Amino acid sequence: MTPPKHILGTFDEALSSLRNNVLMMAGLAERTLDRAVRGLLQRDDNLAAAAIADDEEIDQLEKQIDKDGIDVLLRFQPVASDLRRVVAAMKLSPNIERIADQATNIARRARKLNKHPALPEVEIIIPIQAHAMVMFKHAIDAFSREDADLGRAVVVRDKDLDYMNKMANRKLTERMAQDPKALRGYLNLIFISRCLERVGDHATNIAEDAVYAAAAEDIRHQPATATG
Amino acid sequence: MVSLIEMPQAPPQQLPRQNQTSLEETEAARVTIDIRGVDFAYGEKQVLSDVTLEIPSQAVTAFIGPSGCGKTTLLRCINRMNDLIENARMTQGTIYLGGTDIHSPQVDVVDLRRRVGMVFQKSNPFPKSIYDNIAYGLRIGGIRKRSQIDEAVEKSLRGAALWEEVKDRLDEGALGLSGGQQQRLCIARALAVEPDVILMDEPCSALDPIATAKIEELIQELKREYTIVIVTHNMQQAGRVSDHTGFFYLGRLIEFGPTSKIFSNPSEKRTEDYITGRFG
Repeated sequence: MTPPKHILGTFDEALSSLRNNVLMMAGLAERTLDRAVRGLLQRDDNLAAAAIADDEEIDQLEKQIDKDGIDVLLRFQPVASDLRRVVAAMKLSPNIERIADQATNIARRARKLNKHPALPEVEIIIPIQAHAMVMFKHAIDAFSREDADLGRAVVVRDKDLDYMNKMANRKLTERMAQDPKALRGYLNLIFISRCLERVGDHATNIAEDAVYAAAAEDIRHQPATATG
Repeated sequence: MVSLIEMPQAPPQQLPRQNQTSLEETEAARVTIDIRGVDFAYGEKQVLSDVTLEIPSQAVTAFIGPSGCGKTTLLRCINRMNDLIENARMTQGTIYLGGTDIHSPQVDVVDLRRRVGMVFQKSNPFPKSIYDNIAYGLRIGGIRKRSQIDEAVEKSLRGAALWEEVKDRLDEGALGLSGGQQQRLCIARALAVEPDVILMDEPCSALDPIATAKIEELIQELKREYTIVIVTHNMQQAGRVSDHTGFFYLGRLIEFGPTSKIFSNPSEKRTEDYITGRFG
């Protein structure tokens, strides 16, 4: 349910601007991650380069969100749900920025892999990327729609992503032993899997902040069963 | 007849005692204010409906709400200041101070107003010296010994964080003090008669930010010994100084609870809408 407007119209405008910047930043990070992984899967260096170039704009948005958040706190001294929204926005943006950094790392490793013959094991990345991407999208949706249940569901999914990464590591390590000539390639894939696992961690942080903003509940550092 | 202060021959200016006995003293350190089912009206106009809450002792409780919601009326009920207004009356309910009904015929309302001091929005020092402003209440209460009064004056002024600023000019007129100093003098005046409760009706609304900060700091000191109830329109002030907050609307208590909860995650939508500036 949309809350009624503030008497002070400029307060609504400031909150709206802050929220829109967070969503824009999330959209850019999602695109960057998509480009980076497609650059890997399609062996397309242009896509990988575009992903790396995206990072600059995302970094600037992180700074803008912090600036805007401080401005809202200073000018309007928000309380209750308004305060939680502002604090959540300021906590979300560094997590989105780290997701973009992970995407940049993936893009750089993709370019290295593209210099060598294709490895069929690159297919391992596909479900991991899909899972991480869903977590990120749902975490941002949980913030945007103030949906605490959706946020809690994201947190629960993180252990699945951790398991997928672990299995990928195991398989790629076995392949390294079987095919030492392609060792460098397998190592890059291990790092890429690890980057995606970190995307899941950041998505979890975003989801936890979204739950706090929506429901004033702090669900961090709880055993997995508590949020499941 | 029992009085809280042993009184020698009363001076001619002493306020006439209305009743036979004063309030019983319970444990002085745990005097709570228990408000139960209070309705209040000015003539035919009802301004408070079924207000029930317990104000914790040795803590600061803030009353917030839009203008006309009844918060000042309730504040003034606690020391029966509303008795002084024609046609104003509590039509229902009871207010207990330390377990005693303050409207009981046995209660001495003058003594009640000693135990429940009040500080107003506009500071109102007497047109007397700084010293005499504090000493007046003591003399009215029958204290005559100069050394005793001197000691009480210093203690009260220290308690109000004003002593260092005025100790060398106690004989100067109180009206020559700044607004913030005058307000602290009024607090000192209330402290001199050793109250249990201090009521504050928007005590900082006429003060500059620095004077306000000094009063707020003083409130934090005072709450160690006294029960404090403050009415304020300043939401940030309520958040800074109070331990508990009651939100009033149209004469009703909508929500009461720890300030940290009221201002971070109130249970009632009307509370949330008011404190976030969506109505008022």
